[in-house]
Amino acid sequence: MEITTAARGGAVVLSLAGRIDTVAAPMLEQAVNRAIDAGDRKILLDFSGVSYISSGGLRVLLVSAKKLKGPGDRFGLCCLTADVLKVLRLAGFTSLFSIYTTEGEALAGW
Amino acid sequence: MPGGNEPLTPLQWQPVPGQKGAFVYPFTRKVDTVSSNSYLVQTSGAIILIDPGGLPDQATHLASIVREARAERSRPLLSILTHAHVDHFIAARSDPLLADPEATLLAIQEAGASAIESADGRLTMADLLGQEIPPIRIDLRLVREGDAGMSQGPVRRMSVNAVEITVVREPPEFGLPREQILVGNDPPLAIYHTPGHSPDSCCIRIGGLLFIGDLPFAASPGLAGIPGWNREALIRSLAGIRELLSRGGIAVVCPGHGRILLAGDASRMLGAVQEDTGTLTGVEELNQDRARETAAFAEACMEQVNELFTVMAGRLYYVSHVMEELGEDGIAADLPALLRGDVIDDLVEDFAGFTREFHSGRYMPIHQALKGGQVISRLERTFDQEALARILDPTLLRRAERLLGDYTTMLRGYNPPREVVLVDLPATVGTCLSGHTLPSSSDEEVLASADDQEAFGRLLLARIGMPPLLSDVTVTFDAEAGIPAVPVDREHFLDLLTYLLEDLVGTGAHAITIHTGTERDAAVVTLSGEGCTGRPDGGIPRRFLSGLCERAGGTLDAREADGSRTYRIRFPLVP
Repeated sequence: MEITTAARGGAVVLSLAGRIDTVAAPMLEQAVNRAIDAGDRKILLDFSGVSYISSGGLRVLLVSAKKLKGPGDRFGLCCLTADVLKVLRLAGFTSLFSIYTTEGEALAGW
Repeated sequence: MPGGNEPLTPLQWQPVPGQKGAFVYPFTRKVDTVSSNSYLVQTSGAIILIDPGGLPDQATHLASIVREARAERSRPLLSILTHAHVDHFIAARSDPLLADPEATLLAIQEAGASAIESADGRLTMADLLGQEIPPIRIDLRLVREGDAGMSQGPVRRMSVNAVEITVVREPPEFGLPREQILVGNDPPLAIYHTPGHSPDSCCIRIGGLLFIGDLPFAASPGLAGIPGWNREALIRSLAGIRELLSRGGIAVVCPGHGRILLAGDASRMLGAVQEDTGTLTGVEELNQDRARETAAFAEACMEQVNELFTVMAGRLYYVSHVMEELGEDGIAADLPALLRGDVIDDLVEDFAGFTREFHSGRYMPIHQALKGGQVISRLERTFDQEALARILDPTLLRRAERLLGDYTTMLRGYNPPREVVLVDLPATVGTCLSGHTLPSSSDEEVLASADDQEAFGRLLLARIGMPPLLSDVTVTFDAEAGIPAVPVDREHFLDLLTYLLEDLVGTGAHAITIHTGTERDAAVVTLSGEGCTGRPDGGIPRRFLSGLCERAGGTLDAREADGSRTYRIRFPLVP
């Protein structure tokens, strides 16, 4: 999986491309941790390039959300593909995160 | 005895228990269909190689060990095959020493000798495993049918470099035809004919070692039913070998694949195999067509397994998270252990990698089918079904169980069981919808449990873990009057309806319309979701769903247009 990090509108956007499988899930966790360690408290994950998420990937999303629930913190997902969104919905995850159709929609509200 | 839990140490010469002056060198491998274990035994009179295996590197290694042993003392090399499956012998062709008929005597039971000498692709499994085999000359044909009438006595003699090799027919022992091979002045080694896994399977005893070939795997899914497999013969062979083990004198049992066993462990294992074999009646032969069909089913199943188990693991993480928020840290910490998400991810990934190699032509359908079986049997051990049933939607667990069970059944050589009965479609659809609309416990039940902390905790967990699938969706159901009952496998149909409803809800449907009716010669169930986000495949039903619908007794098609997705299930009317 490829992860591209960019600062936009006071937030950090991690654009993900590939499968969040057993190998990629720890990479994603490290990328989010790096951003948090650097002081970023508003993190948006752009899922437009993600075709698959494993249970390990779901766990990383949950762990990341827990780290960003202070006042003023933001953690959200945008541009989810149908298959990934389906897994999140059926696992009950859509009530845990802010999910946006586009990156613009997310950042406008933050 | 070597240290650790291994009765013998791999890749090392060590004394043969019960035979002074004899040494064994085990070459063991993890279980696969590519190559068997090999074993070298050296005595004062000969070097014996049991099963050269299927890999050139393995043969090269074994040959180098033989050369070293011969450098110390020149002795004839006798290669004995436990049976004529290609993964047990083809490697011998790739090494000059092992392939040279002047340097190595090749021995195998008569039926296997015929299969190898005629390059029989079916009985050697070469066809199924996608290998070409040349005819190979056999020097010693063991336990011949034609010698069965002989009560006792030498049946063949040969001399190699002035060392006399004599095959002696012995009376059957424990119901097993047997012979002894005498090499020079060595104690005899015994050959027991143990057909079942294959017509030519034999077990070989040298001192306190017993080499049993593939007996431990003969009832395994994907191996029961291979060409030449015979249930009745297998039961007799297993009973005979267990009797032999029970008489004492054998300390260590060396299988054709996997770990070497102590005699007691081997006896228990073979007992379980015998029990399994007893249940295997009417197994279909695992030919190339059946292997292709099973491999395709494995792939379709795993697509669905992947989604199902990811959702279950995710739902557990979710429940754990909510319990943590409620201050129930102890419960929250215990929940993820009920289903090993990390192990499941690894297994799914392993199968996906294997599937890519299968499609690139590296593997044959039988490899893919067996890989599916291996992954699914491990998946079955990753979740605590009883505990999960108290927390997760029971339809998730029921479908997971049926999915894994159907695949194992197919790999065993049967078709997944179908119980087709005449079904009232509107009533069945209505039952399914109720199950996905009502909460796992009523408000009254939750209120009534308030005084009982344990009961309340149980209901709370279930409420969080089992939100009704259709709770946030507008559902309209209408049924035409007078639809005749149609033949349907009800359980598979209910599973199919749930998968389809999940697909519609999961891809964003805010309203779902379900209709049951008739058209010409069929009863039809239509499920339409409004607001679904599309898939790149344009809504073509997954192979798994089409297959499941067939098992339910119907056919499935899907259409996608302007944010709506429609599934139609057709069941033929009884004329």
